[in-house]
Amino acid sequence: MAQVRIEHVFKRFGPVTAVNDFNLTVEDGEFVSILGPSGCGKTTSLRMIAGFEKATEGEIYIGDHCVSSSSQNKFVPPENRDIGMVFQSYAVWPHMTVVENVAYPLKIQKVPKEERLKRVNEMLELVHLGEYGHRYPHQLSGGQQQRVALARALVAQPGLLLLDEPLSNLDAKLRESMRFEILSIQKALGITVVYVTHDQGEAMAMSDRVVVMSKGVVQQIGAPHEIYTNPANKMVADFIGLVNFMQGEVSDDRVYLQGTTASFPNTSGVSGSATIAVRPENITMSRGGGMLEGTLTHRFYLGDAVDYRVTVGDHDVRVIVKGADLKEFADGEKVYLDFEKVMIFDRE
Amino acid sequence: MGSLPRFNSKFIVIAVSVILLLYFVVFPMGILLYDSIMVNGAINFGNYADVYSQDVNWRALSNTVQLSLLVMVASVIITFPLAWLVGRTDMPGKKTYRTLLVASYMIPPYVGAIAWVQLLNPSVGYLNSIFKWILQLQQSPFDIYTMGGLAWVLTLFYSPFAFITISRAMEKMDPTLEEAARVSGASPLRTLVDVTLPLMAPSILAGGLLVFIAAGSCFGIPAIVGMPGNIEVMTTRIVTYIYMGNDEGIRDATALAASLMFIANFLLFFMTWMLGRKDYTTISGKSTRPNIVELGKWKWPAFCGVGLYAFIAVILPLGSILLTSLLKSMSRGVTWSNIGFDAWEPVITSSQYMESIWNSVVYGVIAATIGTILSVFIAYLAVKTKVKGRSFPDLLTVIGGSTPSIVIALALVITFSGNFGLNLYSSMWILVVSYLVKYMTMSVRTIAASLSQVHVSLEEAALNSGASWIRTCKDIIMPLIAPSIIAGWFLIFMPSFYELTMSLLLYGAETKTIGVLLYELQTYADTQNASVLSVIILTIVLVGNLILNKLTKGNVGI
Repeated sequence: MAQVRIEHVFKRFGPVTAVNDFNLTVEDGEFVSILGPSGCGKTTSLRMIAGFEKATEGEIYIGDHCVSSSSQNKFVPPENRDIGMVFQSYAVWPHMTVVENVAYPLKIQKVPKEERLKRVNEMLELVHLGEYGHRYPHQLSGGQQQRVALARALVAQPGLLLLDEPLSNLDAKLRESMRFEILSIQKALGITVVYVTHDQGEAMAMSDRVVVMSKGVVQQIGAPHEIYTNPANKMVADFIGLVNFMQGEVSDDRVYLQGTTASFPNTSGVSGSATIAVRPENITMSRGGGMLEGTLTHRFYLGDAVDYRVTVGDHDVRVIVKGADLKEFADGEKVYLDFEKVMIFDRE
Repeated sequence: MGSLPRFNSKFIVIAVSVILLLYFVVFPMGILLYDSIMVNGAINFGNYADVYSQDVNWRALSNTVQLSLLVMVASVIITFPLAWLVGRTDMPGKKTYRTLLVASYMIPPYVGAIAWVQLLNPSVGYLNSIFKWILQLQQSPFDIYTMGGLAWVLTLFYSPFAFITISRAMEKMDPTLEEAARVSGASPLRTLVDVTLPLMAPSILAGGLLVFIAAGSCFGIPAIVGMPGNIEVMTTRIVTYIYMGNDEGIRDATALAASLMFIANFLLFFMTWMLGRKDYTTISGKSTRPNIVELGKWKWPAFCGVGLYAFIAVILPLGSILLTSLLKSMSRGVTWSNIGFDAWEPVITSSQYMESIWNSVVYGVIAATIGTILSVFIAYLAVKTKVKGRSFPDLLTVIGGSTPSIVIALALVITFSGNFGLNLYSSMWILVVSYLVKYMTMSVRTIAASLSQVHVSLEEAALNSGASWIRTCKDIIMPLIAPSIIAGWFLIFMPSFYELTMSLLLYGAETKTIGVLLYELQTYADTQNASVLSVIILTIVLVGNLILNKLTKGNVGI
């Protein structure tokens, strides 16, 4: 098993900087996700760890080995990095059976045939494909093909497993169950994992830590609850979960919600104008009175919750109440809102 | 409300196009096959026995198979590394090379043959003279009039088929399949052997078979390069028999042509089956950039190697023809004082030459215009309707396109000489029909591809806005596919314009075409006029291709 260290890594494609000063240490046995919108540089980062892209600057270490260093002009090709990788497109070889696919890394390592077969079968049991060994990929469903890819990536017992959006080609139900399957296999083997995804739910549910990227820059690294409850900036707050952004003015050590007398402690120490952010589920709505007065304009029934739109002065505020009854409030009714867990950011 | 007339117009379109295709494609070929196995009203393989009992025909068959195999293998061996270097590495000048490497595709094959005869004929070939001078040799090192020379010219002119097929497959292959092998521990070379080659095998084979069929069906190159050296192949035998002009000759030609047609179509169906095999289809997720292999110190050697090949395959023959056309006198050597446009004047002022060029342009324009209109209907039928048998007309054009030219010509001669009502013999219409049968499939392909890009919702939106079906075609569909219609027109016009094989068998006293004229000049050893005419043909084809390239943004070309 291996620790991964990424130090001051840059990747430039001509004038475009795809990855800008990336720093990350993934501990041995840790599950780290790189999360961000498409084009944020997350896949490029993963491909640099794998050795499919060469970092323009910086150093990458896997275990004790430096695998990529611009200053020492060192670059270890993917086949010598001791990693397993699962691709979004499965990349299961269509001209080989399931067993041949999974056995391939061992064949390259010249593992004797008997042991090879034993280890392949163990691996196939682990991913619940024990009976499918002699099938060809076109005889398997997408989920089964992805399990083959997972078995192939793990069979040589690499120190590090890289996953590049492995679930995004699967349907929603299968995606859910595969999450837990990947996680339980990871825990059983204790392997280090770097997982790239654009799906925040996936990243939150699976990871020990999440790296949020945007426009090639790491915005925040932290445990899922940390990122959710204490986002480093507006971008992270916006990308993870739902959030209301409202303009505020700083006066003394408090931030006033524009057009109202309501104010919140200036926890971020910003000056001038600020952005006040609050998540829809952290707002309580009542008839009795509260911090802010507004008018209920729309209601949307979500099944397990009701999603309200409330106009407060110039602000349009979204409020989500779990387990609420749609008929509890009526459109056009005057309501009172109380904000909790308010976040203060710079205007920009 | 509008559904009844819509159904009717579609029905009429299907009926008319099917009847036309049946009459001009299926019927003549049926007659050809029928004639080849009927002797005095009974089924009898006597014709085949007769033909193949003669040594010369056996030799022709064996030459054709040997040559085609040789050309196929050579083409694959040459084009696979070329396709890889151009498609998957950081070799400099990739784009220019790609254009150059497919360029020999648009040079008429017989023009290429004329060029190589100029370069490598044993007495005065340009290259032979240069080698003799540099190496101080007594004898010419090369003789083009041999099996080797024939295979060489065929390979240069038909390997683009393999190049296009193989590079397309390389571009389409999901690069993560190779990356998965790399992370599994395989070196780049091992990845090539274990993953890339097996996955591309069907496409490589398909490209090879295309070359095999094209080389075996070709008449122009063997006629110009092989005949002077007494090397006979199937196509030249067929033409010789037809030129005998009597019933016996036609009968023997028919048996040979039927054999050739059978081989070509069998191979094509085999190829289609190969490519359609399910276990080789690869699902691709998001389009990752294909991983570009860094060549390192091999970068410039690769650049020079590919450059040398492109020079030999394209620049050298074109240069040779241009040079010959600009010599004042063939008997004097290549010197500055011997360069001028003197040879051009008699060609341009000759009414006989100009008439042939004019004929070719007119027949090309007529074939292209009729063909494009039919292609639009056939493509619309196949892509946009749910009518039963909608792709049947399309299939018929494919069969026409895949049948060797010589076979089409013979079938038309037999069928439309008045024996079955219609007599087109010696008229321009038999030429136009032959061009349509052979080349319409290209234009149907192009228009169908473009039509399938027009989503059904665009049409439905127009219908919902109150437009009639005709109005929808005019306002929505036609503007969207206009570039492909013009491209389709050129795809019929250009090969028809410089067509040789079918024209040679079908022309009459009043309908001589530029290809026929050029062939005559070459066989009468009038090299210079042949070169001038070749330059004229090449210029027209080049201009046509530039227009085509502009219109389709480089997606279609000859």
